[in-house]
Amino acid sequence: MLKLFEHETLDVGNLADQDTAIDVQALNLWFGQKQVLHDISMRIPKNRITSLIGQSGCGKSTLISAFNRLNDLYSGCRSQGSIIIDGRDINHAKENVSRLRTQVGMVFQRPNPFPMSIYDNVSYGLRLQGIRVRRQLDDAVEQSLRDAALWEEVKDRLFEPAHILSGGQQQRLVIARALALKPDILLLDEPTSALDPLTTLFIEELMAELKKRCTIVIVTHNMQQAARVSDYTAFLHQGQLIEYTDSDTLFTMPDKKQTEDYITGRYG
Amino acid sequence: MTSVNRLLSSSQRQSFVISATAFLASLLLIALLSILLLILVRGGAYFWPTPVYELTFYDQLQNKQKTVYAQQRQRTDSSGEKVWQVDYSDENSPYGAKTLVEAPDVIAKKLAPESAQINLTDGRAVLAEPVYLTSAESADIPVSEYASVQEKVHALTAKIEDIRETWLSDIHQKLAELDVRNVDADAPARLNLNASFDRWQSEIILLEQRRDAFQMKVVFASGASWQLPLSDIDSFYFVSSQSLWEKWAMALSSIGTFLTESPKQANTSGGVFPALFGTVLMVFLMTIIVTPFGVLAAVYLSEYAPDNGFTAAIRVSVSNMAGVPSIVYGVFGLGFFVYTLGGSLDDLFFADHLPSPTMGTPGVFWAALTMAILTLPVVIVATEEGLRRVPDGLKAGSYALGATKAETVLYTILPIASPGIMTGVILAIARAAGEVAPLMLVGAVKFAPNLPIDGEFPYLHLDRQFMHLGVLIYDGAFHSQTDAKGSSMMFAACLLLLVVVFVLNILAVILRTRLRKRYLL
Repeated sequence: MLKLFEHETLDVGNLADQDTAIDVQALNLWFGQKQVLHDISMRIPKNRITSLIGQSGCGKSTLISAFNRLNDLYSGCRSQGSIIIDGRDINHAKENVSRLRTQVGMVFQRPNPFPMSIYDNVSYGLRLQGIRVRRQLDDAVEQSLRDAALWEEVKDRLFEPAHILSGGQQQRLVIARALALKPDILLLDEPTSALDPLTTLFIEELMAELKKRCTIVIVTHNMQQAARVSDYTAFLHQGQLIEYTDSDTLFTMPDKKQTEDYITGRYG
Repeated sequence: MTSVNRLLSSSQRQSFVISATAFLASLLLIALLSILLLILVRGGAYFWPTPVYELTFYDQLQNKQKTVYAQQRQRTDSSGEKVWQVDYSDENSPYGAKTLVEAPDVIAKKLAPESAQINLTDGRAVLAEPVYLTSAESADIPVSEYASVQEKVHALTAKIEDIRETWLSDIHQKLAELDVRNVDADAPARLNLNASFDRWQSEIILLEQRRDAFQMKVVFASGASWQLPLSDIDSFYFVSSQSLWEKWAMALSSIGTFLTESPKQANTSGGVFPALFGTVLMVFLMTIIVTPFGVLAAVYLSEYAPDNGFTAAIRVSVSNMAGVPSIVYGVFGLGFFVYTLGGSLDDLFFADHLPSPTMGTPGVFWAALTMAILTLPVVIVATEEGLRRVPDGLKAGSYALGATKAETVLYTILPIASPGIMTGVILAIARAAGEVAPLMLVGAVKFAPNLPIDGEFPYLHLDRQFMHLGVLIYDGAFHSQTDAKGSSMMFAACLLLLVVVFVLNILAVILRTRLRKRYLL
């Protein structure tokens, strides 16, 4: 009976083009002389939650940052291979990075609200796009805060500074800020590692809700979380994609010895 | 040190270090406090009324005994002997004389409650006993009627000024127009104008005679009397018989005069308003110029410049620029801004006025530019410090929302760094307000007849020279040591300069605190 409400499980090793949100093809990435990602190819399915797990320094944060070209900020970073999003190779030199980043939102490990009012935080991205109409901004702010399940808590103090919110509220505010741009893909880089368990649960529920409208890629250190919320899981080790399949399979009967060692806690 | 180590246990050693450092810190504090105290006491003394004494002393120069009304401003010990610095008035020098009297030469000294300090409008003071007032009609009006009589004098003065400003200047202008049109010397228009000029002139002379008939008869300590025109008198106080309240009232009124009036008697009397105004205006202009330049340079260095040896070299040079002696900046300002830049502007726009320069001469704008160059390193270093404190997470957050680098700098980085920018501006203001040497080369003068701002178009005259408190102090320090009043005005100007720097700093600190609260992280 429960199965009816769940998605059919897709074979990510053999994903059709129309079901693919991000198509990574033979991606190699270096920071200076050090190669961080080795020949990664994977297809991330649309409207699903895909988690990336692995040891610290295995390259999962670098991989997720490659999806919105945030690695560009670090000098000495160069990459090879393509990442196809929405039919375009975003690694192409002529890619409009600003536009890409409005389509691919990102939430970081530590909540990083700007030192402005709650309203200004949420409308930041829209104002950057030149939207100045008050009505339009008001509607977008309300909708985004509702989507991030924060509206009820902050609707009376929209113009107070964002730093008065608690850590969990700040993280949801940051999610609302990303959602205001109506992204197709939402990248979450360890979004709950700085939060307490209850707030973590709150954010996980939010993710389950959000996947109806966008594709979610999440980096996490917490294996239970990956098993709980994600539909698909990829295990990275030393910059290589070891195993990538649906979460049930990966956590119950992993194919590779390394994966089994990691999820059973033998290292990492 | 080893002997000390052997003598003391480790906890004793520690307390020794603490006491040594605390001792040096307190020395510093004492030095600072004594500077403040000296300036406060000597500067404050300028405003506090000085009692008038009836002094009988032996004048060594003229070899005779003198009895005068005198104020003793100061007592100095030169080679162990007591010397009085005395300001006095007598029939030979009614408008005040100064002398040094050695202690043994003082024969008698007693307070003179009947004598007044009569301040004249030109800044001098007469010490004498007012007896009665005279006018054209009556010869002995009591001194208590001073206010009402002085009112009549003021009315006459106003009338004379009115005639001068409305009628005479009009005739002057018309005559000048005739000169330009080369009208004959005996043309009827010219003769008419000359006739009416003479009419007004004689009217003025009549009024002046009426005004000057109002006089105050005063008596010196020797018994000789003297007549002072009332129009020359600004105010008079019986300083020796004042109650404490009257003393405070007189001190406040002289502070008011000091702050609002122009200097008189070659910067030894009157007020310092033009210098105060010039200082604040120059600092204000400097702030407007240096802030955008400094901030933009710091943004480039910290956000855009590649992280290589050249950038590092620029950073080191900027820091070193802060240590260049300020007179070098003054010479640079004179050579580059005044002569080169101002000279070229003259060639381009004011060629018809040459060879007399319009912009190619020291002025308040060039001074502000020079001070901006001088304080630029301070602003750049402090701003870079502020920019470095912006968390990377916030920058990444801004980029992740599709902001370009310029947008991130403008909307996220600069607001958060604004307290750091304010710190730089505060330091720049403190430096610029106290700097004197370069200003004397590029526009500050001992005396400027006009303020840089007035009612004439274009209102703000950036090419004008200006007065500066620091230059006034420098000038005051060269007045003769016997001129006790002048040197005490220098201390008063020091006090004012400290207050100005303090107030400007407080304003900037308040602004910074507000920004910090707003962009709290």
